[in-house]
Amino acid sequence: MAKKTKPLARPQTTRSAKPTPRRGEEPQVGEPPPRIARIAKGKKPVYFSDPAIDKLLWMTMTLMEELSVTRDRLDTVERLLESRRVLRRRDIESYVPRGAAERERSARRAAYVDRMMRAVEAELEEIAGTRRDAGAEDPVAAVSS
Amino acid sequence: MAARAAAAADPARYHTMLPCPVHDERARQDFVGALRTHLASRIVPGHRIVYEKRVAPAIEARYGRAAADRFEVRAVMDQDPYYRFWSAMQRRSQELMWESVIDPVERCADALVSRYRRLAGRRRRRGSLRLDDALRVPRYHTAVDIHLQPGGYHTGFAADDVAAGAIYDRGLQIYSAGSTGPQNDAMGVLLVDYLRERDPAFEPRRILDLGCGIGNSTLPWALAFPRARVEGIDVAAPQLRYAHARAEALGVAVHFSQQNAEHTDLTDGSFDLVVSHIVLHETSRSALRQILRECHRLLRPDGWMLHLEIPRGKTPLEQFLMNWESWNNNETFADLITDIDLAAEASDAGFEPARTRCVDYARPRPASQRLYSDYGLWRVLEARR
Repeated sequence: MAKKTKPLARPQTTRSAKPTPRRGEEPQVGEPPPRIARIAKGKKPVYFSDPAIDKLLWMTMTLMEELSVTRDRLDTVERLLESRRVLRRRDIESYVPRGAAERERSARRAAYVDRMMRAVEAELEEIAGTRRDAGAEDPVAAVSS
Repeated sequence: MAARAAAAADPARYHTMLPCPVHDERARQDFVGALRTHLASRIVPGHRIVYEKRVAPAIEARYGRAAADRFEVRAVMDQDPYYRFWSAMQRRSQELMWESVIDPVERCADALVSRYRRLAGRRRRRGSLRLDDALRVPRYHTAVDIHLQPGGYHTGFAADDVAAGAIYDRGLQIYSAGSTGPQNDAMGVLLVDYLRERDPAFEPRRILDLGCGIGNSTLPWALAFPRARVEGIDVAAPQLRYAHARAEALGVAVHFSQQNAEHTDLTDGSFDLVVSHIVLHETSRSALRQILRECHRLLRPDGWMLHLEIPRGKTPLEQFLMNWESWNNNETFADLITDIDLAAEASDAGFEPARTRCVDYARPRPASQRLYSDYGLWRVLEARR
């Protein structure tokens, strides 16, 4: 039992320089194109004063769905692993990353937050005059001669 | 056998013409179901509070009186942030619903056609199918896709296509949050109950279901009256192919044919009972009149006509809420039918006014399965020839 609950192997990193597609990413050959229509005929109402809000809500609800699907899938994986005695779900609850794992995870999380907050920080950089694109040359002039 | 029992217990595949969703497909459908349940049971009741606190005072300020009709309510409600955000979410939930249902149908599209061909090609079938390639699908079907189902009821995407039927079958379960029953038969069962209350001794020998679609409401009539010959007609070929295969898969005898209910090729006075289930509000002003005339022609003296409809609300607010589907879910005629006196229409079509009535018929329903101001209410247009 104890042997079977060892941490799983570290994810493999690809060292080969050959641009071979990873498993599951091979181009699908012979897959027929979708044939059932996906868009209903008829004028789509605009709900908000700015149509951008309609689009953002559309995207948000699609993301809500996919997050729910991902959580369901994770739950399935955990339950199957537990039922096959690969791990116990309470081991996941009590797992705390240590050492290199902790450092890697923290760095990845911080980078993710940075990326997300970029949109907000851009405004501050503009005020401070430190924005990277502040002194940009006219790109058309740069390529016109 | 255990697998068959498991499939029967799973609404997503209660018969073999439904594709079995894989993990994420099922998870998407489950999410849409949870989302729509929440919208219906937690967000929608708020509309009444919003109306009372914000909208009614605004209408009072504008007109110096309460709202006279649903259009005055609409002018203010459409601008209300609570209602507007719900409305946008409700619309997207409908789109997500179809997307979640289309995915497995698309994946299994060829298999479903094969299953249809196998079931429809069996020598010992209980029912039958008669298609008419020359039939013109009426404009009220083709102008926009009703309920936002891409391609509507009528579009075939391949030879012998049944996709629109499979999409509608599973979509209806999710749309109704289970209130149409695990086999989508609750509306048919309800109208059977209604008839038995009205005329317990009535034993129809020939029954016609108009606009039968996938036959989900047709089968209960065949099961309730096993000695009767039950026919179902619709304009949409993909639905009828699916309906035929579905009825065969469920082992129920129904005879389907592709016909327009406005003018069928069936004989005068040849039916004891003509029914329809939430069909009239998806037709048109002229089609409604013509369908009622056709019912009159097809019924024998003393035969029953029963149309199940969705109530359109009584107060301006209820009428406004009931018509969300008309304005946001491509149910265009539902708005117009709100102001139509169905009993008067039936009388104009030839039924005696004294033997015609339109009544609300209540069935209790849990909050999660209520839509808008519908507290489990249905409307029945009945007439006796």
